[in-house]
Amino acid sequence: MTATIKANLPVFVVIAPLFVAFVLPTFARRIRLVESLVIAVGVLGLLGTGYLASLILIEKGIPIIYSMGGWSAPWGIELRVDSLGAFFLLVVAGVSLPVALFGVDNLTHEVGGSAQTTRFYVLYLLLSGALAGMAVTSDLFNVFVLVEVATLSCCGLVSARNHPRAAEAAFNYLILATLGSALILGGIGFLYIITGHLNMGLASQELGRVWRDYPHVVWMAASFLLVGFGVKAALFPLHVWLPDAHSTAPSPASAILSGLGVKGYMICFTKVLYNVFGTTLMREFAMHRILVLLGMIAIIAGSILALAQDELKRRLAFSTVAQVGYVFLGLGFANASGLTGTLFHMASHAVIKSGLFLAVGAIITTTGKHRISEMAGIGKKMPITMAVFTIGSLGLAGIPLFSGFIGKWYLLSGSLEAGGSLAAVVIIAGSVLCAAYLFPMIRIAYFEPAPVEDWQDPGVPQRIALVLLAAGVVILGVLPGPFLELAKGAALELLGSM
Amino acid sequence: MRILLDKLIINYPYFAAVILFIIGALTVLTRSNLFKKLIGINIMESAIFLMFIAAGNIRGGAVPILDEANPRAPYINPVPSALMLTGIVVSISVTAFALALIIRLYQSYGTTDARRIAEMKREVT
Repeated sequence: MTATIKANLPVFVVIAPLFVAFVLPTFARRIRLVESLVIAVGVLGLLGTGYLASLILIEKGIPIIYSMGGWSAPWGIELRVDSLGAFFLLVVAGVSLPVALFGVDNLTHEVGGSAQTTRFYVLYLLLSGALAGMAVTSDLFNVFVLVEVATLSCCGLVSARNHPRAAEAAFNYLILATLGSALILGGIGFLYIITGHLNMGLASQELGRVWRDYPHVVWMAASFLLVGFGVKAALFPLHVWLPDAHSTAPSPASAILSGLGVKGYMICFTKVLYNVFGTTLMREFAMHRILVLLGMIAIIAGSILALAQDELKRRLAFSTVAQVGYVFLGLGFANASGLTGTLFHMASHAVIKSGLFLAVGAIITTTGKHRISEMAGIGKKMPITMAVFTIGSLGLAGIPLFSGFIGKWYLLSGSLEAGGSLAAVVIIAGSVLCAAYLFPMIRIAYFEPAPVEDWQDPGVPQRIALVLLAAGVVILGVLPGPFLELAKGAALELLGSM
Repeated sequence: MRILLDKLIINYPYFAAVILFIIGALTVLTRSNLFKKLIGINIMESAIFLMFIAAGNIRGGAVPILDEANPRAPYINPVPSALMLTGIVVSISVTAFALALIIRLYQSYGTTDARRIAEMKREVT
């Protein structure tokens, strides 16, 4: 029995949300049932991924491999739960559950009607299924399909609010994201043409043999993939779609898009970069230098752009651009500490940014105000919401005892190991800038006279969701034990020393 | 020069794919009409499909079904064709979704020109 469960869990955590997504529209009139189904899938997913992660931890990173349809590696699609997969699965399940909980009772008036709410949840489950798939797949073409599923559901989530600005943001996002997917598919095509394999492991072995014969094709493949994933993950000069898309979406959608949506593409990029190209080729083609440079530019530019925004949701969206920079920076260090830091930072940013967006969403739905300057004294009226916002801000700025600190600490030691003292300065400057664009909100909320309106914290499900995410930030910061263990295992796996 | 030209002529499907890709990308990035952007996306994706199909093709290759009489006959690689079938499905869904969004944008702004929409948005805020 346990053996069967263990053997089939990798596919179950991907298929379950997708399956429920397609069943959901039949219950569209009974919104309670829809909500409980979504929560049930979230809880099941969390249990399943928790079990998988503990198995990986106990067995010291021996991967669990599932061959789709019984066809093994060269022919079929291989799902592979290794440390990296288990780590990201846990992040996806851990963040998507509170975000779904936040939508209970709250979403209907934001998207306008129970039919729209059901549609929202369909897209939401499709997105979480695709993200779970990205975590475990080890097939290049499967990566493309999952990227497309995620992109289309992200665009749908952005346009969920019946507002012309949402439609415009979604259209711009769709066009740029499809440009990105075409580039990704092209890059995968180049790799397939020179290696003849779609399985990452086999493609990597073959690429190690033939890259000297086709240096230009390898260059093309790497640049297509970098630009393609860069557009989707909002790497700095390619981020133009993100602020509009993330600030016009309904708040649970902004939370999941900023928290998890962009991370899925980064995980795929990490896998392609390290599991297909590998560190030798990265150094040979100077990819690591390009990544470090792009990451540093993104951190500084994103933070400065965030400082210039008065609309709170836009400020958070630009902050995502800056945090994406940290991830690419860490990928460029190509050493164990840097990669551990990158992965941990991805997880902590997923939890923190979802919490921040949900807190801001609660403030906006209660008060109807979008600008920071109009939110004076809000902390005295909505103490729980604002406390979560404060914890999130402290975490993002990288204060010790909060999750952001550990990720940045490992990134910092990674940068010193890689000999990039400029990168270390940029990491610290990014933290300072992060404090500069988030802390004024805290000051305005707590140290200004309270407004006269009778505003209150949101309902019980929303409060539970917010508190869960804030607890996640603190737990990851104080007791990172198993999480850090998984991240370290994943970093060693990616570097090929396991 | 001669060798380069020969290579180009022999590999003409790839050359065509590159030209199509550039046309598509330029259309997406420079045109402000939403329909033209969408058509550009489609051209770009066709270029990638062409590249994959060309990679799987062998001149004079047969359909990849086992021929009992002549089992060693060359046959084309079916994998890229199968992959591109999926790619075409994805591209159709993207097109359908984008068209739906264009309809909604036309209903609320009365135009399908991205620049005019951006101007109108700025006037509102």
